[in-house]
Amino acid sequence: MESTVNTAIRLIPAAHFSVEQLTDIYNQTRVDYLVPMPMNAARLLEYIRTYDVDLEHSLVAMQDDQLQGVAMLGVRDGRAWLTRLGVIPDTRRSGVGKALCDALLNQAEDLGIHFQMLEVIKNNAPAHTLFLKLGFYEVGELLVLRRSPIIPPHDPVVADAQRLDRAEALDLVAQDRGTQPWTNQSESLSNASEVSGLRVTLVDGSEGWLVYQRQKFLLSRFAFKTQSGDPVNMARAFLSHLHHQYPRLDTHLENFQVNDPHLPAFYEAGYVESFRRIEMWRGSPPPSLVGNEK
Amino acid sequence: MTKILIVEDTADNAELARRILESRGYETVHAWDAETGLQMAIDQLPDLVLLDLGLPDHDGLTLAGWLRAEPALKDVPIVAYTAWPPETAKQMAESYGCNGFIEKPVTKARDFAEQVQSFLKK
Repeated sequence: MESTVNTAIRLIPAAHFSVEQLTDIYNQTRVDYLVPMPMNAARLLEYIRTYDVDLEHSLVAMQDDQLQGVAMLGVRDGRAWLTRLGVIPDTRRSGVGKALCDALLNQAEDLGIHFQMLEVIKNNAPAHTLFLKLGFYEVGELLVLRRSPIIPPHDPVVADAQRLDRAEALDLVAQDRGTQPWTNQSESLSNASEVSGLRVTLVDGSEGWLVYQRQKFLLSRFAFKTQSGDPVNMARAFLSHLHHQYPRLDTHLENFQVNDPHLPAFYEAGYVESFRRIEMWRGSPPPSLVGNEK
Repeated sequence: MTKILIVEDTADNAELARRILESRGYETVHAWDAETGLQMAIDQLPDLVLLDLGLPDHDGLTLAGWLRAEPALKDVPIVAYTAWPPETAKQMAESYGCNGFIEKPVTKARDFAEQVQSFLKK
C-alpha cells in the first residue's frame, strides 16, 4: 500500500517498479560513495532472490515525482532484514532515510516480525546514529575479505578431501553453525546457485567441511565448520584444497565474523580485508535464529 | 597508434578520459562493464587498460585478475582508476596485478595524461 509520511515524501512499494528501475535508483543513491559498488539489474535480481527480499514490503521514496531513496526488506522465519538503504545525495539530511527505515520497521511489525537485523559499514556515522535512534543495538563486527587469484595457492594440506554435491552441502549448512548474519544464513545458500562443498578429514582425525558458491569467475558465500580438531588447521586444509582446485578464481567473502577462530588461516592463504561492517539487531532474536538450525 | 581500453560505467568519467586521451593522440575504446571489458581486451589487445574498480556486473579488481590470467594480456599495463583512498587503492591494485592506480576525480587533464603516459613507458 502506498503511504505518505508527511505532505512531501511518498513511500511506494518497490514491487511497483521494475528491477531495472530499482537498479537505477539504487545506483543513484551510491553515486557519490568512495566505493560506489554499483549493480546491474541481473545482480540486483540475484540479490533479491538470494536474500529473500520482499519487494511488496520494500519501499521507494518520492517527492514531487522525484526519486529520493530506496530501502529493502528481507523476510524470513521470525526475522526481517533492512538492506539497500540509500538516499539520493541532494536530498540527504531531510529525513528521507529515517522515513524509509520507520516505514520498513512498521512493515515488519505488520507482518508479525518483531526482530530486525542489518549491517552498516563501519565509520558510516550518520547511518549508525540513525539505527541506534531507531532502537538497533550492536552485536558484532564483520569483515569483508577477498583473495586475489594472482596469489599462487599453497600446496594442498595432506588430508582426505571429499567433494560434496549441492544436496550434501546444503544439508551440512543447515546444521548448527552458531548465529549468522543474514547473508550467511542457510537460506542464503539454499537460494544461491552453483553451491557445492568439501568434507575434509585430516591425518590426526580432525573433521570439518566447507560449502561455497562457485560462479564463472568467482568463489563466494562460504559456510564452514570444524566438527573436531583445531579450526585454523582445518581452515588451512580446506582453503588449500579449494584454491588449488580453482586457482584462477577471485574470492569474495561477505560478513565474516571478526572473532571467528578460523580467521588466521584465511590471512595465511592471502585474504585481505576490504572493509568492515557493524552488525546490529533490534528486538529479541527468535528461536529460528539462535536455535539448532543457525 | 597506441590504443587504450577504458572500462568505466560512469558516462562522465569515461567521456572525460576519452577526450583527454584522444586529444593527446591515443586511440581509445570503451567498455561499460567487466565482461564486455574482458572480451574487448582479448579481441583488441590494447596497449593499456584503464580500469574503474566499481563496475556493475563484477568489480574491477576481479576483471584485473581475469586480464592477468590471459596469456596474451599478461604484459599489458592495467591501471586502476578509482576514488578509493590511496593506501587502499595501492594495496588492492597491486594484489590484483595492476601496474598502479590513478585517482579520481581527474582535476588536471595534463596530470592525468602524464600519469597514463608513465605507465605506457614502464
